[in-house]
Amino acid sequence: MGVFLNELFIGLSLASILLMVALGLAIIYGSMGVINLAHGQFVMLGAYGAWLLQDALGLSLLLAIPIVFLAVGLIGIVIERAVVHRLYHRPLDTILATWGIGIVIEQVVRLLLSSDARYVARPGFLDSGFDLAGAYIASYRLFVVVFALGMFAATWYVMFRTEFGMRLRAMVQNVEISRCYGISARRIYALTFAYGAGLAGIAGALVSPLVSVTPTMGNSFVVDAFLVVIVGGVGSLLGAGTSALMLGEATAWLSFLFNETTGRILILLAVVVFIRFRPEGMFPAKVRG
Amino acid sequence: MNRMFKFDCVGYLIFALIVLVLMPAMVGFGGYELNTYSRYLALGMVAAAVALSWGQAGILNLGQALTFGIGAYFTAMHLKLKASASLAGGLPDFMGWTNVEALPWFWVPFHSLAFTLAAIILVPAALAGLLGAFMFRGRITGVFVAIITLSLMLAVQLWIISEQGWTGGENGLTGLAPLSIFGFSLDPYTVAFYYLTAGLLLFVLGLALVIVKSKAGLVLRAIRENPERVRFFGYDVSRYETIVFAVSASMSGLAGMIYCLVLEFASPTYMGLSLSLAMVIWAAVGGRESVIAAALGGIAVNMAEGKLSDLFFDQWTLMLGVIFIAVVLFLPRGIFGLIDQLRLRFHERGSREQRVDAEPLSPPKTTEQEG
Repeated sequence: MGVFLNELFIGLSLASILLMVALGLAIIYGSMGVINLAHGQFVMLGAYGAWLLQDALGLSLLLAIPIVFLAVGLIGIVIERAVVHRLYHRPLDTILATWGIGIVIEQVVRLLLSSDARYVARPGFLDSGFDLAGAYIASYRLFVVVFALGMFAATWYVMFRTEFGMRLRAMVQNVEISRCYGISARRIYALTFAYGAGLAGIAGALVSPLVSVTPTMGNSFVVDAFLVVIVGGVGSLLGAGTSALMLGEATAWLSFLFNETTGRILILLAVVVFIRFRPEGMFPAKVRG
Repeated sequence: MNRMFKFDCVGYLIFALIVLVLMPAMVGFGGYELNTYSRYLALGMVAAAVALSWGQAGILNLGQALTFGIGAYFTAMHLKLKASASLAGGLPDFMGWTNVEALPWFWVPFHSLAFTLAAIILVPAALAGLLGAFMFRGRITGVFVAIITLSLMLAVQLWIISEQGWTGGENGLTGLAPLSIFGFSLDPYTVAFYYLTAGLLLFVLGLALVIVKSKAGLVLRAIRENPERVRFFGYDVSRYETIVFAVSASMSGLAGMIYCLVLEFASPTYMGLSLSLAMVIWAAVGGRESVIAAALGGIAVNMAEGKLSDLFFDQWTLMLGVIFIAVVLFLPRGIFGLIDQLRLRFHERGSREQRVDAEPLSPPKTTEQEG
């Protein structure tokens, strides 16, 4: 029983990280069709932001989160205005351009802060853990799970209960007609990109105590996040949540049954087969044609 | 069409001159420096392979490094077995360290050079053929092809890294014997080796050009523009896509072989995400519409990388990133597109009709001009 709960919780913890990283990507890809390969670098920037604030100003991780969100979001706006907005009618080219952006971000960080691994401390009151029916629950991981759910709820609120979300959804349906109604496509797109980037930044900040922070850490996230988005279905928040949960739990269980590498290989193969038979994902977005 | 054909032939000849005369002359025909240039040629070949499937048929394969790596690993396996002949049981050294008792069954045929060479060409083709049939029959396109190919490549790379005893794991296959064909031993640091590489590249590009110029090439370009319509004309779209996918895979398998011979080792990084994306970028820089231009792009970018990284040890990656972004933004058709524009301007005086089909219809812009 203890082992079972333990694995369940590890899967939940992995799923929450996946969800946080994938949320921003799902929004950017779902709204604009931009395949943002620099997303992993946004996560990395968030982790470095948390480290900088802690190292230089002694800020606790929790206080760093809103600052990181705004800072990475701002970087997102700059990138969208400078590069991405010119590529909206060339979706496959966004892969190449954003990969170039990722290289640039990574290299700038390396030049400014060196390649040394950095470590971020957890908030003191989340340092310990507790036993639950024989399973060990690390407080910080539990906090990340709760926070990821909070981010998910907040994103849902923004998309479906605010003026901004309504405008964005209208644009996803039909850009031309939305513009006729006076919606500024340029502004909404820039803000959406910034929001997605900011979410990636938060994910990076929250992951930073669990991994070593390096300039190349983003690459490990971007592929997984993409798999989550594609399996979930483009432009579907519910799909992203469900597929993050599925992939997280599957990773935990397969790693437990075989080993970590075999688990990852099996998941990659399963995703390949899934995409082949359901390219629209689990919950395809319903767009009125 | 006639003029286009002339243009391609001239392009091919210029490329041959660059590869056969200009590049060796740049380093005074020194065998040692030409080793690096052979590496550029191998990477140029793989960029051309990307351009064949992406530029012609619109199949963006982000896992091109997979077949490249397979070619390199097969070559390395053969040479490793040769180097290990004197050891106990003919087992490669790393297998001894991880307590592998006997040679794994899939290593055995690589004792034979003929089998190895055949496998380098045919296994990538078979793999791509199977994957292509799997994907294209389901009418999978665009982004989904990119994600599937990428995922498969990462899965194979993970397997290679984890199976230390069978594949050399993270360290790859090192300590290889030189390749010997008909009793001649190939030294990668010689002028002869460079010319062998150049000959292979020119031969492969010639074949690719034949495909591009054939009716099949025309069908592929039609598929790129509008697969649905090609289907209505009664063509089996998935078959054409699968075939070009397989040819492209064979090309990168061969390129992987050369790459392994040049560097004298094979490593899992050959199947890495960054190398795979870099290959696509090279093709984009040269010009995805033309295999020759893409090959030049692969050679030029890597040459620039080699020069820049000597001059600016730290900043060159940054510059490279900026250049990539600039190319994607301002030269969507790569350097080839630029030349093509100039050529059309030059011919403008001759014929007005040429211009009509030369200016591609751009889709309506959705984000410019705020109302």
